[in-house]
Amino acid sequence: MKKETAFSIQRIEWRQVSPRVFAGRGDLRSDIWQRQVTFERGRTYLIEAASGTGKSSLCGFVYGCRRDYDGTLLFDGTDIRTLTTARWTCLRRGALAMLFQDLRLFPELTAWENVQLKNRLTGCHTDETLRHWFCRLGIDSLADRPACRLSYGQQQRVAFLRALCQPFDFLFLDEPVSHLDAGNAAAMADLLREEAGRRGAGVVVTSIGHRLELDYDTVFAL
Amino acid sequence: MMIWKLLRQHVSPGQLAGFTLANLFGTAVVLLGLQFYADVSPLLTGGGSFMKKDYLVVSRRVSTLGTLTGTAATFGPHEVDDLAAQPFARSVGAFVPARFKVTAGVSVQGLDFATELFFEAVPDRFVDHRPEGWGFRPEDDTLPIVLPRSYLNLYNFGFARSRRMPQLSEGVMGLLDLRVLVRGRGGSRRLQGRIVGFSDRLNTILVPEDFLRWANRTYGDEADPRPSRLIVEVDNPADDRIARYCKAKGYDTEDGRLDAGKTTWLLKTLTGIVLTVGLLISLLSFYLLLLSVFLLLQKNLAKLETLLLIGYSPAQVARPYQLLAAGLGAVSLVAAAAVAAAVRAVWLDTLQGVFPALAAGSVLPAAGAGVALYALVSALAAFLIRRRVDRLF
Repeated sequence: MKKETAFSIQRIEWRQVSPRVFAGRGDLRSDIWQRQVTFERGRTYLIEAASGTGKSSLCGFVYGCRRDYDGTLLFDGTDIRTLTTARWTCLRRGALAMLFQDLRLFPELTAWENVQLKNRLTGCHTDETLRHWFCRLGIDSLADRPACRLSYGQQQRVAFLRALCQPFDFLFLDEPVSHLDAGNAAAMADLLREEAGRRGAGVVVTSIGHRLELDYDTVFAL
Repeated sequence: MMIWKLLRQHVSPGQLAGFTLANLFGTAVVLLGLQFYADVSPLLTGGGSFMKKDYLVVSRRVSTLGTLTGTAATFGPHEVDDLAAQPFARSVGAFVPARFKVTAGVSVQGLDFATELFFEAVPDRFVDHRPEGWGFRPEDDTLPIVLPRSYLNLYNFGFARSRRMPQLSEGVMGLLDLRVLVRGRGGSRRLQGRIVGFSDRLNTILVPEDFLRWANRTYGDEADPRPSRLIVEVDNPADDRIARYCKAKGYDTEDGRLDAGKTTWLLKTLTGIVLTVGLLISLLSFYLLLLSVFLLLQKNLAKLETLLLIGYSPAQVARPYQLLAAGLGAVSLVAAAAVAAAVRAVWLDTLQGVFPALAAGSVLPAAGAGVALYALVSALAAFLIRRRVDRLF
């Protein structure tokens, strides 16, 4: 427990951050790029963006898998460029959760194995809880099917469950409902509210129109 | 386990079998080279450690004129100094001849033999393997003696067989009760001779220098006789400067030692070549292993990245590949050891047919080298794989 609190994140600050590909563009009209913005733990944010405005870049920067930005990005005052590999690994296990836009499931593993691959690493939930979640999202009958044989909407739900299989202070969801109908999106939103609320976590959702229905504290236009 | 299920995809059995075979072959060659050296070198050096220095025995050529005029072929002090000053000589020692009469008697199966003998001594540092109890004080009753191994062979294979006498092992010789009588200048002394060893290097009946100096003073007609043979420690007996010097001075060298030196040198060179070839094959097989594993990493790149993204550490991601490399290395090491053991059995049989007294050399150097090679290869592979995975982060 001590280790996890040592790696918790209360605030994510963006100081004049912009993707390097935008360098030299003076006409950036954005609520986040090249501005001073802070994401607080416990709050819910929506980032609305048109295609090509750097939505996935933003997720990549904050998750430490992309470093091609100018400006400074801080976790509780620490420049994230200074974090070590070991520290990033800890954060990804215990503080930062991410639903990738491209999902990043392992196609040859079953839906259940994909979720377990993460859950065994963190030991976060019981099989019982996970089965219950599969039911709630309507994919319980698909648990033993290889991920490559699921529809994109089904895969999105599997990836979402995988993202929940860890303690987190912030959860980033990159276009989580792009392929979900209203009913499934609502089921996902319910589960998200419960889990984020239970943890007091911050939630950051991106959308290009099809938005996940939550009570957003702030809406940014990227 | 789930990680392995993910990462074993694209594993190419052909490539890995290729590595295992090549590594097996390389390791086996290294093991065989070392083992052969360990087994054969005692034959050449006549003793345990093969890192012995090389020695030569130098004598003055006996000329017909010298025989007629009765001039002894001995060395004067300035000649000894001159030899010691040569660049190829590390140190020089003089053979001290006995200047008194020696008779030795022995009983074998109830038969008594007695014969006149001669003794010589060299400084203790030149004695092959200085046996325990080597040395003499005037109050001692036992006299340690080192015989040339060729005498024993002469007896065993020549004399004993033709006369149907028992053949004697070196161990039995050590138990013989040798009665030594030393006489001169009207005095005499009985001593208990004990054969404490056999020498390949010194072709004489050797006793401790202390004894000979004491006996020469007490019974000899000359307390400090001039040496007729010198023993020279050289860096390399195959050095051609030695031959030229001896020719110029009219000295003879006892060639056997030179030949043994050459043979040892040849064995060392051959072993060196074999080891180099073996290590080269091991190196290439290691390269093959790294290529296969890196190809595997490359093919699984997206998966590895995803594992890192969902919170697996580089160490966890690298481990299956490191274990794969270590496992294959272990398989080839065990197989190479088996191959080496099988081949060794063949040459040991042959060698022991020719030299029955041959004790098999220690397997420790070869075993140690095999394990060290394996540890080195596994550690290096583990390091390189880990570095490759770290770069994905």
